[in-house]
Amino acid sequence: MLDNDMLLMTLVIFLPSVFALGLLFFPNDWKEGMRWFALLGSGITLVLSLFMLVDYLNLLDQAPTGDRAPWHGSAASLDARVEAENTRQASGQPGDSMDYVGKRPWIRRFNIEYFLGVDGISMPLLVLTTALSFLALIASWGIDRYVKGYLMLFLLLETGMVGTFLALDFFLFYIFWEVMLLPMYFLIGVWGGPRREYAAIKFFLYTLLGSVFILIAMLGFYFTDVSPFIEPAAYKKAFDALPRSTPPRGPQFFAEWRAEREGQVEAHTFDLLVLKRVGAAAFLHLTGRTDEIKVNVPVWNNANQVTAVEQKEIGQLDESQKKLAMSKLEQPFFTRGFQVAMFLLLFIGFAIKLPMFPFHTWLPDAHVEAPTPISMILAGVLLKLGGYGILRIAVPICPWATQADIWGSSLAWWIALFGIINIVYGAFAAMAQTDFKKLVAYSSISHMGYVILGIAAWRVVEGRTVGEQYWAWGMNGAMFQMMAHGISSAGMFFLVGVIYDRAHHRNLDNFRGLMEPMPLYGGVSAIIFFAALGLPGLCGFVGEVMVVLGTWNFSRTFAILAALTVVITAAYILWTMQRVYFGVNPAYKDYEDMNLRELVTVAPLVVLAIALGVFPSYLLLSWMEPSVTGLVENLVSLTGRG
Amino acid sequence: MDFVEHPGRLYVVATLLPLASFFLLLLLGAIRNAARPYRESGLGRTIYQLCGGDRPNTIGAYVATTAIALSCVLCLVGLVWFLQTHPVSDSHGHAHAAGHHDDHGHADDHGNKAGDKPAEKEHDHSAIVEHVDDAWAERITFARVGSLRPEVDKRIGLELQLGYRIDHLAAVMFAMVTFIATLIHLFSAGYMREELDTPVVDHQVHLPSGEHLHRRGRYSRFFMYLSLFCFSMLNLVLADNLFQVFVSWELVGVCSFLLIGFYYERQSASNAANKAFITNRVGDAGFIIGMLILWTYVGTLNFQDLTQRVRAPQSDAHNEHYALHGQLVRLQPEGEPSADGRQLYRWTPDGSGSHVALFPMSSHWHGIGNQEEQNQEIRVRGGRIDRYGVIPYFMLTIAGLGIFLGCVGKSAQFPLHVWLPDAMEGPTPVSALIHAATMVAAGVYLVGRAFPLFTPEARMVIAYTGGITLFVAATIAIVMNDIKKVLAYSTVSQLGYMMLALGIGGWVAGLLHLLTHAFFKALLFLGSGSVIFGCHHEQDMRKMGGLLTKMPVTAVTMLVGVLAIAGTPLFSGWYSKDAIIAQGLGFAAVYPQHLLLLALPLITAGITCFYMFRMWFLTFTGEPKDHHVYEHAHESPRIMTIPLIVLAIFSVIVAWGWPVWSAHDSFLGKVLHAAQPAAVTADLSVVESLVHDHDGWVHPAAGFLAFFAAAIGVIFAFLVYHFRTLDAADTKEQFAPLYRLFERKWYFDELYSALLVRPALVVANWCRLVDAKGIDGVVDGTGRAAVAVAKGHGIFDQGAIDRVANAVAAASQAVGAGLRRIQTGRLRHYVVFLVLAAVGTFLVLTYFLSLARADQ
Repeated sequence: MLDNDMLLMTLVIFLPSVFALGLLFFPNDWKEGMRWFALLGSGITLVLSLFMLVDYLNLLDQAPTGDRAPWHGSAASLDARVEAENTRQASGQPGDSMDYVGKRPWIRRFNIEYFLGVDGISMPLLVLTTALSFLALIASWGIDRYVKGYLMLFLLLETGMVGTFLALDFFLFYIFWEVMLLPMYFLIGVWGGPRREYAAIKFFLYTLLGSVFILIAMLGFYFTDVSPFIEPAAYKKAFDALPRSTPPRGPQFFAEWRAEREGQVEAHTFDLLVLKRVGAAAFLHLTGRTDEIKVNVPVWNNANQVTAVEQKEIGQLDESQKKLAMSKLEQPFFTRGFQVAMFLLLFIGFAIKLPMFPFHTWLPDAHVEAPTPISMILAGVLLKLGGYGILRIAVPICPWATQADIWGSSLAWWIALFGIINIVYGAFAAMAQTDFKKLVAYSSISHMGYVILGIAAWRVVEGRTVGEQYWAWGMNGAMFQMMAHGISSAGMFFLVGVIYDRAHHRNLDNFRGLMEPMPLYGGVSAIIFFAALGLPGLCGFVGEVMVVLGTWNFSRTFAILAALTVVITAAYILWTMQRVYFGVNPAYKDYEDMNLRELVTVAPLVVLAIALGVFPSYLLLSWMEPSVTGLVENLVSLTGRG
Repeated sequence: MDFVEHPGRLYVVATLLPLASFFLLLLLGAIRNAARPYRESGLGRTIYQLCGGDRPNTIGAYVATTAIALSCVLCLVGLVWFLQTHPVSDSHGHAHAAGHHDDHGHADDHGNKAGDKPAEKEHDHSAIVEHVDDAWAERITFARVGSLRPEVDKRIGLELQLGYRIDHLAAVMFAMVTFIATLIHLFSAGYMREELDTPVVDHQVHLPSGEHLHRRGRYSRFFMYLSLFCFSMLNLVLADNLFQVFVSWELVGVCSFLLIGFYYERQSASNAANKAFITNRVGDAGFIIGMLILWTYVGTLNFQDLTQRVRAPQSDAHNEHYALHGQLVRLQPEGEPSADGRQLYRWTPDGSGSHVALFPMSSHWHGIGNQEEQNQEIRVRGGRIDRYGVIPYFMLTIAGLGIFLGCVGKSAQFPLHVWLPDAMEGPTPVSALIHAATMVAAGVYLVGRAFPLFTPEARMVIAYTGGITLFVAATIAIVMNDIKKVLAYSTVSQLGYMMLALGIGGWVAGLLHLLTHAFFKALLFLGSGSVIFGCHHEQDMRKMGGLLTKMPVTAVTMLVGVLAIAGTPLFSGWYSKDAIIAQGLGFAAVYPQHLLLLALPLITAGITCFYMFRMWFLTFTGEPKDHHVYEHAHESPRIMTIPLIVLAIFSVIVAWGWPVWSAHDSFLGKVLHAAQPAAVTADLSVVESLVHDHDGWVHPAAGFLAFFAAAIGVIFAFLVYHFRTLDAADTKEQFAPLYRLFERKWYFDELYSALLVRPALVVANWCRLVDAKGIDGVVDGTGRAAVAVAKGHGIFDQGAIDRVANAVAAASQAVGAGLRRIQTGRLRHYVVFLVLAAVGTFLVLTYFLSLARADQ
């Protein structure tokens, strides 16, 4: 029924929900039991995702090309694997159980499929999600009210997050995206701080607004006829499904009849990979290279039957086929306005989650009011979904829009500008905060600015990409920064939670002198805070330096501004450490240092922060990079090379 | 660990030993703190006791000192090995005719002696940096994107590497750093003894209740931080690329932060730590910008690769000798780019071109500018490391200035010097190690390493920055009363000397001064530490005096240090200072408009002698000014005085050569000369020939001038502080405004506070308000508007629509009520209605029938 890989991926997505259902059978007052049960569910999910990781590394090893290191093999890329899977499915072969893509029809009427897959972009984020969920559950031991509801909502949230990273069908993606919203609303609104209702509804409506934008774009894509770009097997199937029609007698009428038949084929899809091909075609069309677009062309035999479907460039087609292809290219999707509009809708929808200035104000409130474990998940995972969405959906489907000329500069330049605003503004705003958690929230905003900058740094001059290796460098840096920020940010929020549990306030002006009673806490905090500061040897440095190194090629001003902001970052982080840990304050001298549970929660984060900083290539970059660079390669091949 | 094939790995091990020490101590401390809540009984108690228990640990000192001592041994072995396989030739000072540098073919000799690899020759077509073969250089990948050979695999590629490359400079630096670090570890084991008290009383921290702070000791933590620092510093010296240097740059910054803020309960200490790190970060921002430019244009950050690309090599792939060896080859673009984006560049022999050629790192290429007709132009499109490229000249200058800004921050040069005096808040051994001998030397070291990347304009900026710094810092040192502050400003001043020397082409002079200065400045700081320790933490020189009899070893060794820094003949400082003055004299002779670059160091030499002797006299001679301090003063224990004696010996002999009385025959100088990049002589050929002409007038003149200046300073010091001929207080009165200027440190702190710190806080607050009131105002306003609209809808709903609905309901009810009245209950009424209904129906039917008939 389901191949091993599909089974594993489905399990990883739905196991938390199964455990959530299982929680229903627990009596309300057996809190310890419920907590351990939920932790077990999350733990098993974590282990399964680690199995997936090992399998994925094996997969990379087995698909080498030429004399390059095997992990650069193009046969392991997502596109190649999906294509191989489709071919296998079309010819009726059983699927490959280890290639980690899988497709099953779901709602046939609308061509919605249960399409799951991983590649180097989603795999690290998946492991990050399951790991942080596990740690956040350990941190949730202190939640005492309505424990059952909390745990059920948390596990449901985990399902949503994992599903979003694995889904390759837009509709499926959107469902999982929405599944995340409601649990978060309740988790903040019921178990949060004093202003929790305000924060929860602000978060919910803001993100829902973004979701609505994404929905509009999704529908816009669905209502486009993408028949020239779907897989040949699917095209043939669509052709065979046309209502019967007898061909005319005389051969002189064949061409006309055939053209009419071909014109009747229509296909609509939510498949992200097909949409990516359509987006690439739009790019080529709008930059005047229409002849290079590859479209599906049916092959007729003498008996007026379609025996096969092949893909040929438009420039090589004959008159009638070309006319048909060009008519498909007249759809709104292939117009400038549509591309820009859809891209903006998608981008803003995802940028709200990122969060990008000026759509970021939900984050400080949500973080301040949310309980500690929810803050960890919010900062560690949910913010990455914005970046992931841009990388997976917005940029591949509407690549032309990134280079559209808006008021004299490309849209990519404007996006990078907002990235810089995030970095600088976030750093300055963090410096002015007196609430510890709000300060960490603003530092999150600042760090995500690097992600935006790395993704946007595509420099096209007169139709030719200049310095594509620097964009690839920056894009990899953006992905690494997402991982590093997940670790350091989750750590920081947890540490704030530790002291809040003892002091019951977060006012930076009232701390001081915590290093003396809590030296272990101080030491761990120092490591995590230095990771956030971007100290070399810790994880935060690698992503930052990679993004900044790739930016000079794109825009000198942005690179200089990004480089200068390290001073402000250092300033507010060190000042915070001084205000909280150094100095003397007899009021806190009886505080207990971190207990075992707190240590177990934060220790993996510390270890990862150091490990990723010292061995970035071996631990993450080497297996993440082929997919990211492949994405960049795909996009750059749409332009000329400088 | 194949050390015979790769002796350079000795240095890698030497670098990693302190790191191992750091991690061990970190783990030990973490486990102890984690087990502390469970220390009452059972497993927790065992673990707790194993990791040290309740009393402060001494294990930190043992572990750290062992690690660094082992490192030192390895480095010394490596140095000897390296010098054996790469002997220093005696041609220093001879055959430096302008333009032809055949004897810089040390490369050929060394290549043959260390093991021939003929195939290497094809790719190693330059001796523009000292040639070392694979035995002493290796690289690994830190982060890689894509393929590196696009012509084989069409993918795109860039790589950040970690690697090492041992040449003479690195070998000597390693030996110096590890040796001094070992001595300072030993010294600290004695100095930090009070951290072993239970509890430690900190007299500078007052609790709200009025009493002094009592806290736990932090003995092992100090050594843990020292270990991390040693690792970072050694990694910096080891590095063969700018990225690794930057990594170490930040790490030493963090160690400095942790160590300056060691007594973190003191507000002044944590402020100083913040100031140090943030000021360094300003420099780091410049460093990053420099890296960005080089990364984007040249495509690599490796020193050797950068130099090979930016400077003309010794010969091209066809082994034709390059007349332009070591120079920056300047090109001018001609015409418009062709259709496929290629731009033509022509060589400009007069050096007026707007771009600099980047030589390819491949095996097949012609040399541009090699005097032949066909080698006058190149066509360039896009940046690839295996093809010719160009970098705009001003970009190269900016890149050099960016990297120099990093050095300015790290070496506390003007204008980023403000952190070093405040850094004296840290324990004195820290000041000795980090803020005298090693970390601040890193900036100078990098300028030396990256010398080929600096354009002449950048070099001038370096020289003048050094010049201003050395003068300003010396003037402030005259009026300081804290013994450590005097030494701090002295360090800033001496670093300025080094920068100045490097800027005007005295590569060997500047780095020689770095090495000698490390020894005598460490000696002076440790000596001051001994004084402070002996006087029970009194640092104000106005309360000292007459300590010569009480602390003889300290006094004598410090006198040796003072003599060394004053440039007394035969002491190590003489060799390096002489070299710097000689270089300055030669430079000013060739470029008279830069006379300031000679005048400043000369004048400051006198000032240096003055304030150093002032310090010595105030501390050790004369009548004791505070009897309490004098009574309780004592000599430090042997573990502290032995390092002093060792350093004193080295402060004398480290730069000796043969003959000893010849200033420019220093052996260390010759060793350094072997590592000198060709760019030094290529850029400053006239100056070099003048300075290195041993029979010429430069060296004797320089020696005389330096001696004269120093003598004036010493005489003044004697007059004021020993013989009391001139009264210090009177002089202070007479020059009161000048005194105030110096005492307020030229008002830099106030300037920065007003110009940078306060505006930053204002901007930060403004950002916070924009978020809270501005953007959130819009968001909340939208929410409120939506609620108002909803309410409006509600009102509309209730008011209008509901009213209509209600009206309809009321109307139908009224109609019903009205119709109800037909039900009278009387039969005759019903009969009437029946008849009326029947008649009516009949009439209607007839009407319709007639209509139907009319139709037909």
